[in-house]
Amino acid sequence: MAETLIEIQGLTKNFPGVMALRDVSFSIARNTVHCIVGENGAGKSTLIKILTGAQRKTSGSVTYNGKDWDPRSTGEAMKAGMSVLFQELNVVDQLTVEQNLTLGKEKSRFGFERRNEAQFALTVEALRSLDPGIGLQERVGNLSVAQRQVIEIAKAISSNSDLIVMDEPTAAISDEEVKRLFAIIRQLHERNVTVIYITHRLTEIFDIGDIVTVLRDGQMIETRSVRELSASCSDDEVEACSELIRMMLGKVVAERYVPREPPSGDPILEFSNVSSAKLKDVSFELRRGEILGFYGLVGAGKTEIARAIYGLDAITGTMRVKGRPRVFKNPRAAISAGIAMVPEERRTEGLLTKLTIRENITIMDMKPIKRFGFLSRVKERQLARSFIERVRIATTGEEQNVAKLSGGNQQKVVLSKCLNAASSILLLDEPTRGIDVGAKEEIHSLIRQLADGGAGIIVFSSELPEILNLCDRIVLLYNGSVRKTLKNGAEMDSHLIMQIVTDSTGSDARAQAG
Amino acid sequence: MTDRPALALRTRSSANLDPQKIIMVGILMLIVVAFTMATPKFLTYVNLVNVFMNIALILLTGSAATLLMIAGNFDLSVGSVVAFTGVMHALMSKYGVPTNISILLAALIGSLCGLINGTLVTRLKITPVIATLGMMYVARGGAFLVARADGGANIASGLPPDFQALGRATVGPVPIPLLLVALIVVIFAVIQNRTSFGRYAYAIGGNPVCAALSGVRSSRVVTILYVITGLLTGLSGAIFVSRIGTGVPRIGNGFEFDVIIAIVLGGTSIYGGIGSVTGTVIGALIVGFVANGLNLLDVQAFYQTVIKGFILVAAILLNRVIKEKVE
Repeated sequence: MAETLIEIQGLTKNFPGVMALRDVSFSIARNTVHCIVGENGAGKSTLIKILTGAQRKTSGSVTYNGKDWDPRSTGEAMKAGMSVLFQELNVVDQLTVEQNLTLGKEKSRFGFERRNEAQFALTVEALRSLDPGIGLQERVGNLSVAQRQVIEIAKAISSNSDLIVMDEPTAAISDEEVKRLFAIIRQLHERNVTVIYITHRLTEIFDIGDIVTVLRDGQMIETRSVRELSASCSDDEVEACSELIRMMLGKVVAERYVPREPPSGDPILEFSNVSSAKLKDVSFELRRGEILGFYGLVGAGKTEIARAIYGLDAITGTMRVKGRPRVFKNPRAAISAGIAMVPEERRTEGLLTKLTIRENITIMDMKPIKRFGFLSRVKERQLARSFIERVRIATTGEEQNVAKLSGGNQQKVVLSKCLNAASSILLLDEPTRGIDVGAKEEIHSLIRQLADGGAGIIVFSSELPEILNLCDRIVLLYNGSVRKTLKNGAEMDSHLIMQIVTDSTGSDARAQAG
Repeated sequence: MTDRPALALRTRSSANLDPQKIIMVGILMLIVVAFTMATPKFLTYVNLVNVFMNIALILLTGSAATLLMIAGNFDLSVGSVVAFTGVMHALMSKYGVPTNISILLAALIGSLCGLINGTLVTRLKITPVIATLGMMYVARGGAFLVARADGGANIASGLPPDFQALGRATVGPVPIPLLLVALIVVIFAVIQNRTSFGRYAYAIGGNPVCAALSGVRSSRVVTILYVITGLLTGLSGAIFVSRIGTGVPRIGNGFEFDVIIAIVLGGTSIYGGIGSVTGTVIGALIVGFVANGLNLLDVQAFYQTVIKGFILVAAILLNRVIKEKVE
């Protein structure tokens, strides 16, 4: 292989309570497409952040172009020839393509913009060669996600980047656009640009990857040439994907899943052929006392299903709650019907960060704390205290501001809020994202208790172990539709699940690869 | 364990005394002492009634506007709505509408202005600055048009004898509007502290996304707040013209800023989510006393305006410094 661009030796990153990377070593060769795969939480983003200066390493060494590399900021990494295509693209919607291309590169003289014409010409040429269809005067806000990516790539090329990191670039773009992106990546190869490519869609690796590194639980499991991997599976792509999945998952077993009595009775929530802007013909049913899991990649439609139930997105098709067809105009209507949601983003959607624990817990339903129509501070305090004890929130008291709590305790406040609304159906979107292991376990057992108490619970999660540990049945999503519904149990095949949600089961995979 | 209504007047963070409020009360006392020593005219019955009447008008609108600002909105049109409703009240009284009914109608006109503001902001998604700035111009122009349609610059003649009653009647030594305002302040402090509606205002101003996901119907709450603000502004308008005994379309110029300065001095965040009605009381007292003291000291109106500008900016800076010190 060619010379080494990046050499990683014993790289370790500690966060309080979590070891995000432990002793990771591998090297990235110049002018290759180096894929990195792994489950959510395997350490992919942390690795990228350390390489590009967004975070500092705890220990270990990295060399870049043969020199010691420990960037203190993303700016330093950019100057050294690294560019990152984040999922959230770094373009300004209100400006035109041309303005975006020169953004941050204006030189000013006496306060007037003066752009470097030679540099600009290079950028325009790069953009033309990547996608001649993008006009310089178009507003970036009117372009598609894929076109915006192209703009970012053009910027990266023209600033002489050696290395472009792409973080799940295909999560939000159409199949046609994926093909175009791959053509661009091949062009980058001709320009001697190295690409680090992070993806969940495993078949893509066989289309464009040269090398693949598998991470699991912060450790490097395997770094291999894609051709070799393919050959070892007698060039059967499905088999090769399976091999990757095996490496990604290790031995994921539902060690904590306790088989529960299959809940009987009529469904309390039922979808028949529900569609929305992002969902296609979704059908499922939820029973009293059941924990139902939705699993799929980013963009598969988990959050969209929660939003559809909760009256946030317009739907077609039929939704039945306790047997009756219902359409909720807004969350208030859903809450009145006994449905409550723990949203995906705790700080921006789940909490009133300027208020106290007490005020957060009671916001969904204030009936229990009223006396003669007015809020009773005494009743409210008692109620808040009872939740603090019941879900074990570690706090100085109910008057503490929620912003000051740890992630796990904040999540318990959000859960208490939903419990206070006395809901019979709970929608939990990523209920334990970004919280420490102890709190995670506590929240899981709370969820089981609630189900035992007769609530119907839907867990939307991108962490397979969470789904396997908690859920009685698992609905697998891909691209906005239901691919399969499985019953959880000892013989649960996590491998099959990954194949389905990464769309690498036989015929489909080949169709896309072709 | 008793839950006495008196508690309702306590501030939100009464458990740990709010340093911001203590400092504001200190500043208020300093101002009073300074003016008392500077001029003998300050601490007299006539002057105090005069000051408190001005403060009362700020507070009447300001107590509702505080909740509106806590919910992340504000209303720039209140000065013009005072003028419009005041002139309308004079007009209606002049043409035979019984004074008391006319006062209620003025309040109703004010709440209609509020309903329009609320609808523009919540349904048509126009930012509060623009929506209420529009209303500010329309209502001011309307006030002048009404006066002209009546045939003069002001509506001065032909008003019934009881027209001035509202502005001048007293219970013992205390003018009726002061009692009314005291009652309104108590009611709004209770709404703020003791009702789900008040809590919703904090939720909407603090995190609108979370509020919506928690089932708060933000559009409805915000619209109602604009309507209530408009209603009390209409009442202020009626009291205003009743005090001067004439329907003058020029009144209330800059009133919206007096109200906003009082609210901000009282510790309410212009971004919403934080604040209190009791704070606004302190803020209104400071605004009222400063204006009155400067008048008594014969400071020119132009200088007074400059000083007000300084106070507003200084208050916001002070708020921030205190907040950072506390955290």
